[in-house]
Amino acid sequence: MALKPATNPEAEAVTIELTIDGTPVTARDGVSLYDVIASTGKIIPAMCYHYTFDPFGSCGMCLVMQEGKKAPVRSCTAKAAAGMVIRTDGDDLFAARKKAVEKHLSVHPLDCPVCDADGHCELQDMAFLHGVTNLANAKQKLIPEDTRSLVLDFNMNRCIACGECINICKDVQMIDALQFMKKGGFNQVVAKGDLPLQCEFCGDCLAVCPVGAITNKYSKYLYKPWQMKKTRTTCNYCGDGCQMDVETKDTHVVRVTSPLSWKNKWGDRTETAKGHGGLCVRGRFGFQFIDSKTRLTRPLIRKEQDLVPAPWLETMHELVDRLQAVKARFGPQAIAGLITARCTNEELYLFQKLMRTVVGTNQLDSSARYGHANFVHAMRDALDVSRMTADSETITKAKAILVVGSNITETNPVASLRVKEAIRVYKAQVAVVDSAHTNIAKLSSHPTPVKPGTEGLFVQGLLKAVIERDLVDTEAVGQHPAAFAALKQAVGAVSLARVAELTGSTTDQIGDVAALFAEAPRAVIIIGEGIVRRSGGYRDVLNLIDLAWVTGKVGRPGCGIATVVEEANEQGALDLGVAPEFLPGPVPFGDENARARFATAWGTADQPVRLPDSGQGATLTDILDRCRTGQIKALYLIGENPLETLPASVNVKEALDKLDLLICQDPFLTETGKLAHFVLPACTFAEKDGTVTNQEGKVQRVRASLDPIGESFPDWHIMTALASGLGASWEYESAQDIQNEIMKLLPGYYNLGQPKRLAGSPDSYLANRFAGGVTKRYTAADAGNPPADKPFRLIMGQVLYHSGKLSTQASGLINLAPNTGRVHMSLEDCERMGLKEGALVRITSAKGSLVMGVLPSALLLPGSCFVPEHFNEPPVKDLMTVDVDPVTKVPTFKLTQVFVEKA
Amino acid sequence: MGVGTLTKKVLHAILFDEIWDAMKVTFKHMFHKPITFQYPREQRHIPDTHRGALALLRYDDGKERCVGCDLCEAACPSRCIKVISAEDKSLPLQRYAKEFYIDITKCVFCGYCVEACPVNALAMTKLYEFSTHDKRTLLFDKRRLYEIGDKFLDDGKRYLYAHGQEKETESSREYRYFFPQSVVKGTQPPPKHLT
Repeated sequence: MALKPATNPEAEAVTIELTIDGTPVTARDGVSLYDVIASTGKIIPAMCYHYTFDPFGSCGMCLVMQEGKKAPVRSCTAKAAAGMVIRTDGDDLFAARKKAVEKHLSVHPLDCPVCDADGHCELQDMAFLHGVTNLANAKQKLIPEDTRSLVLDFNMNRCIACGECINICKDVQMIDALQFMKKGGFNQVVAKGDLPLQCEFCGDCLAVCPVGAITNKYSKYLYKPWQMKKTRTTCNYCGDGCQMDVETKDTHVVRVTSPLSWKNKWGDRTETAKGHGGLCVRGRFGFQFIDSKTRLTRPLIRKEQDLVPAPWLETMHELVDRLQAVKARFGPQAIAGLITARCTNEELYLFQKLMRTVVGTNQLDSSARYGHANFVHAMRDALDVSRMTADSETITKAKAILVVGSNITETNPVASLRVKEAIRVYKAQVAVVDSAHTNIAKLSSHPTPVKPGTEGLFVQGLLKAVIERDLVDTEAVGQHPAAFAALKQAVGAVSLARVAELTGSTTDQIGDVAALFAEAPRAVIIIGEGIVRRSGGYRDVLNLIDLAWVTGKVGRPGCGIATVVEEANEQGALDLGVAPEFLPGPVPFGDENARARFATAWGTADQPVRLPDSGQGATLTDILDRCRTGQIKALYLIGENPLETLPASVNVKEALDKLDLLICQDPFLTETGKLAHFVLPACTFAEKDGTVTNQEGKVQRVRASLDPIGESFPDWHIMTALASGLGASWEYESAQDIQNEIMKLLPGYYNLGQPKRLAGSPDSYLANRFAGGVTKRYTAADAGNPPADKPFRLIMGQVLYHSGKLSTQASGLINLAPNTGRVHMSLEDCERMGLKEGALVRITSAKGSLVMGVLPSALLLPGSCFVPEHFNEPPVKDLMTVDVDPVTKVPTFKLTQVFVEKA
Repeated sequence: MGVGTLTKKVLHAILFDEIWDAMKVTFKHMFHKPITFQYPREQRHIPDTHRGALALLRYDDGKERCVGCDLCEAACPSRCIKVISAEDKSLPLQRYAKEFYIDITKCVFCGYCVEACPVNALAMTKLYEFSTHDKRTLLFDKRRLYEIGDKFLDDGKRYLYAHGQEKETESSREYRYFFPQSVVKGTQPPPKHLT
């Protein structure tokens, strides 16, 4: 049932009683009559209603008779009141509803045959249900179709002015890109100001349009809804883990639709706290990579400098021979492996099992190392949990949200809707500490722009302010007086004025944010790439945990610490032990009990498998170092592309050239793949079964929506074959078999999308390890002002339309956001330097220099430059210096100091 | 047996009466219009409602009628139709069938697809001679269906008239489906604060 939530989730609404069709019903006060009727299970047709936003009342279908009134009333806009006597059925109501349908149909073109909504159209259903066969005064609107937008076409002849698209854009997305405009005597939906639509292109308007007025350009006219096979799966683009329906016809992916649709219009409004079922632009319009022409369809073997296609059997025989030769000659420590966190849990589990038991090495890592490892390590060390402690419901119902270093509306658009709902429905106060004027900052109550790279410093300032202004929670602090004393002493070194100066904020701003966070009863911290992908990320997450602890937000219901991740399964990669320091669980690799348990499980009770020694492990950067020194001779890459990801200063090329054997398993031929000795074609997520774990810890299914393209195979299948070739007797026939094994080893890991709510306990950390490390963490000096010869800060980051390198294979997203090859600079800097759009500048860093065009951007702060990290042309990444975190071994290379001049 | 009967019998025998009876039928047929006809050389007259080979029709100006709505595919009980539709890039918003297949070996000639067609693009013709040595040629593609339609346009139209799907009047000849126009520019200038 769709009940409008109270702005305070703790307050109970008053109960009222009314009679519906002779049955007494109790309901909450202040709720729409339609919702009360829907809650009894009766369905009254309504075309303009959707539970995710307030009733609009334009379609005139939800008519009911109220005792004491002569005419039928619209139940959606009528408030339920005590003592109402309502009748929902009857010939008079049927006739009145039929009249409403006729009214809509009389100006609706009967072009169902060419309409994409044909067969998935509420007006069609209603006309059929009410038996509308004759229209007395039909007339045509004859409005030209608006095809100016890049992804959506607006055919306003078909529009029934229900306003669902406008409402969802305004109320749920808070983007407000659509409006009604009276043109040619009809109310039409147009993009703001009747300009070509330019928005985030989430496509939720398309999903809720009950007729064919808004259509998807990428799948327009291709097929009718009934011709396509629909598969519910989990999106592979980011860590939000949105559910989506991939619609396929034979071997083609035609379109992607969301569970959010006009068909699912009945629901409890408070349920949107767990997600509204929609998608973002990447999920909805970025599906073309799945059946792209550039997919690898056959295995490739290097023969005399060239990669030539070869049959699978021959490839695998040769590959196994070469791998065994390396192992025999140099031992298992000459082999290492890297896997992408876009793989399923089953594949990640199998990968670490393959490396540890069959190959016998602990030199393995995943792309979670690029940032998420910082967060997980800090959470484990301080709170003894290995994922975020705030689920989406906690975020939605928070009173204060501190977003640090995250352009959340761009990196994780659907997760950002939880913050937006918190602002809109629950009136949360939001502080956004970030280095740009992001969309979430514009919506927030406390936008706090800081200089790039000083987010961590700002956090130190927050702690100083909390202690200075005595905002500490005496109860939480009182339990650990020694730790608090150590913290107080450490924070003493921080000067608020200095922090304000270095971050470019004011002491008042720092104080306001600190007070906002400390005084809220339910407060959540959201940590983004601006913290975890910068040097000192581990330290900064620990500092944020300190902040939560001293303000009493650790373990309190409604509070928590959250993060957003870039790849779909980074959480799963660490949970399933694809890191040298973890076994599945995750449990430390050195833990003797766990080692014994896994050794028995992977071998037999009599003959446990010998796991590699815990000292031998190597992380991403160590693996590349060992490749360079010649210690590692063979490297197995699954979906990883270090050559295009890491800066030139890491010398990935040199490291890979030294290898005797480089195996690349990927759906596409990447730059790294072009250096490989063997290239194995793998499937994308749309062709395999399994599960992925999203950033919240929800384990959700991935289902195969079409057969593997060409001769490609799912990664688990290739790994099983490889293991069998290397002498293991693995008998996995499907992803389900692997799942069964994980279920036995990690009971409760498959949580059916409902993870246990974690609180985390800092007690052991505060009592034992805290005092030792705290003084080193508060040193306001290390992020000083940039040197005079390099006054600009260059950031590489994600943009809304892309995710990693994968999205650059999706033509739909490239169409929306092609590689401009330009550096974004603030308007102030452009004006000061006399730069117009497209003017060439030379960017010089410690590592080199290059020339590129300029794109003035109103979103950036003066002194910063931004380049999307998804493209390597021009190779901006090579300007970056790499900094490896001493504790978590996370390589950070997204921010550097540069000098910019006119070229 | 009496004398009269015997005489009658003898007389019949002398005059070969049975033969004359039989010859009467023979001679009668010599002057009767034949029921059979010399098939390949002579063709049978076929009624307008006859369900023969399916064809795709064009408008009088040569434009394809089919808008690729896939309704024939949905209506087909033997699932022998496959339509792949697309947008005509040169004429934005014009939907058409990029590919159109009818597997005539599966077709049961029920005529449901013709009934389902909202733009009367499909019709049945009087063509029934498409036997072949190669079964594969019985998968009619779009080109073949239009060839049949062009050749037997008149048959197709008569089929539609006879089944009451199109009226044989001057006004209905002008009938055609019109697509909406596309707009490249806004129909009115945008408000000042947004330019």
